[in-house]
Amino acid sequence: MVKQKVEEEIRSGIIMTVFSTASAVGKTLLSINMAAELARSGYKVCVVDLDLQFGDICNYLHLSPQKTIYDAQKAAENTVGQLDYGEYMTPYEYEDTIFSVLAAPQKMEEAYNISTQAVIEVLAGIRGEYDYVVLDTTATFSDLNLAVMDLSTMITFVGIVDFIPTIKNMKVGYDTMRSIGYEKNKIRFVLNRSNSKTHIELQDVEQLLEERFYHILPNDFLTAIDSIHQGIPLVINDEETALSRGMQELIEKYTNRARQRSSRKNASLSSWVKRLFK
Amino acid sequence: MPEYRVLLIESNRIMMERLSSVVRNTKNFQLVSRAMDAREALGQGGVFVPNLILLDIDAQESMQLVREFVRAFPQAGILALSSQWNAQAASTVVKAGAKGYLIKPFTSDELIAAINTFGNSGMGMISEVMTFFSPKGKSGKTTLIANLGMALAQKSGQNVAIIDADLQFGDMAVFFNLDPQSTIVEATRDIKFLSPISLNSYFMPIADHVRVLCGTKRPEFAEDVSPKAFAEMISMARSLFRYILVDVPSAFNPISVAAAEASEQVYLVSMISGGYEDKHMRRALDIFKAWPDYETKVKTIFTRVEPCDIQKQQQLETLIEYPVCSILPNEYLLVSEAANNGRMAVDIKPGSPLARSIDLLAAKICGRPHKVG
Ligand SMILES: Nc1ncnc2c1ncn2[C@@H]1O[C@H](COP(=O)(O)OP(=O)(O)OP(=O)(O)O)[C@@H](O)[C@H]1O
Ligand SMILES: Nc1ncnc2c1ncn2[C@@H]1O[C@H](COP(=O)(O)OP(=O)(O)OP(=O)(O)O)[C@@H](O)[C@H]1O
Ligand SMILES: [Mg+2]
Ligand SMILES: [Mg+2]
Repeated sequence: MVKQKVEEEIRSGIIMTVFSTASAVGKTLLSINMAAELARSGYKVCVVDLDLQFGDICNYLHLSPQKTIYDAQKAAENTVGQLDYGEYMTPYEYEDTIFSVLAAPQKMEEAYNISTQAVIEVLAGIRGEYDYVVLDTTATFSDLNLAVMDLSTMITFVGIVDFIPTIKNMKVGYDTMRSIGYEKNKIRFVLNRSNSKTHIELQDVEQLLEERFYHILPNDFLTAIDSIHQGIPLVINDEETALSRGMQELIEKYTNRARQRSSRKNASLSSWVKRLFK
Repeated sequence: MPEYRVLLIESNRIMMERLSSVVRNTKNFQLVSRAMDAREALGQGGVFVPNLILLDIDAQESMQLVREFVRAFPQAGILALSSQWNAQAASTVVKAGAKGYLIKPFTSDELIAAINTFGNSGMGMISEVMTFFSPKGKSGKTTLIANLGMALAQKSGQNVAIIDADLQFGDMAVFFNLDPQSTIVEATRDIKFLSPISLNSYFMPIADHVRVLCGTKRPEFAEDVSPKAFAEMISMARSLFRYILVDVPSAFNPISVAAAEASEQVYLVSMISGGYEDKHMRRALDIFKAWPDYETKVKTIFTRVEPCDIQKQQQLETLIEYPVCSILPNEYLLVSEAANNGRMAVDIKPGSPLARSIDLLAAKICGRPHKVG
């Protein structure tokens, strides 16, 4: 009993923030897939929607939360000692995968009135209850985003190469991140939607940013949009695509896990085998 | 350059002498009459047929006075003179019919600049500020603003300003391929010391009658732009431009809210991308519905609409339960090529469906009767 308590106190979940300096680059889609893939790998995972005003996590997962981060921070404010955050979470469940979602506020006034300090406190609390906490953000250097990036274990900086203004913002944003003084290792540069209809060479972008892409995800609009419409993350969907594989590979790199040779293929194979011998 | 026949009204004797000599020493300006008392000038001044009246408004209740001068000298333009810039007073005299506002004492160059500036905008003192607000980023609003600015200037022949207040990641400078000397950071920093004429030089000319005030060069400079100074800057810009288009960061934040509050029109812009844009649009609209006059003040625009037709527009209206003012077609290649090359889609392909939609919107804006106050 005592031992278990100590273990719980020691637990300090890894915070993975997904950030960008251009909008609509795929942060939210990537966040839910990171959460789903980590959960599928057996970790206890929570994804927090820090796009407080126009958050999409619950939209993309087809969830209707009863409680949100607004309620959680209010409760934390009025509680002495550790709060049980479980009741503020909305569970997401699909087949064998389950993870928690801390939803964005229902009302705009609530969103506008949440202080950075309150969010930080909530995160400190949640951290003790999960192996991984994935944070989805907005594309701006707000107080909130800067504060959560400070306490993040790792920042996934997402970029796309569509047209020059976006690349400018990626460059300016990345330079700013570096000038803040984050360790280089803390920021992982992920290029999303590679091969979309542009005439801009990736090498040129890498040269401009003076940084190699840590990982590249392919452009596949139909698959992406289909997942959003079904409310099922790509990585746990039955259909394997280059995009879902790319997302799994990213998590494999993050967790230093040698790729377990398509565990999903085995699963589907075994069910196929089972059916044969029924 | 036309000959200006000046009637000067100034209540302070020393200032009167100083300004008189400036007017006399300015090429193409003739001082035809002067008076220390405005009432006297109203009675006597007409004899000399002035076409430009420089009217001190520090001494008298200016609103009434300007009205009387407008009535007494319908052929003349009136520039209000004051020893300091006061947005409230400027907007008051302009509403009363003055063409502009000039800080005294002024130099010959400033006098000429004032005439050129105010003269060009058809002395366009009535101005309309439009903020383009998007719930989420990548709405297509910068593309829209840049092209609409050009279209408005062409259609109206009047001065148009684009203000890039998307503070951290403003793209206007890239869209127009500019390397600005001064930006919104300097303009708002200096605003206390500026007059409309000096503010004008912070804007970069990009085409006939179109000027841009570029955004910050680095995101950390965004903190230097206070919403209050920003609102003052917009209010001063009103005496320079007939139309002022403001690009703001997405969602509700101090700067987007300040811009919306300073505007006659707020356009909510969303791009159709198969996600939850209608939901976000409704959510944003709900906030603006707190304004008593939201139905006239708040308009919605959807970009990348396919097919871009009336049925689709009606369908969107049903979804958001609000009128849709304008829809823009999907023209990804055209607009990104244009932006990559610092050019405007309306210039590259004037006949394209996108250019036609933007033209239509410009026509609506030009045709709108101006509502004072
Ligand atoms: N690899 C991809 N290929 C094609 N489409 C993608 C890809 N990743 C994301 N998308 C699509 O891009 C759009 C934006 O994605 P998403 O909402 O995740 O971006 P975001 O960065 O969270 O945006 P915001 O900053 O507005 O919150 C969605 O329609 C999504 O389906
Ligand atoms: N009518 C359109 N049809 C298709 N694509 C468009 C259209 N308008 C803009 N785009 C594209 O959408 C992207 C975003 O456009 P733009 O920069 O104008 O939007 P924005 O709302 O200002 O974005 P940001 O949030 O980054 O400031 C660009 O790649 C642009 O080329
Ligand atoms: Mg998002
Ligand atoms: Mg923009």
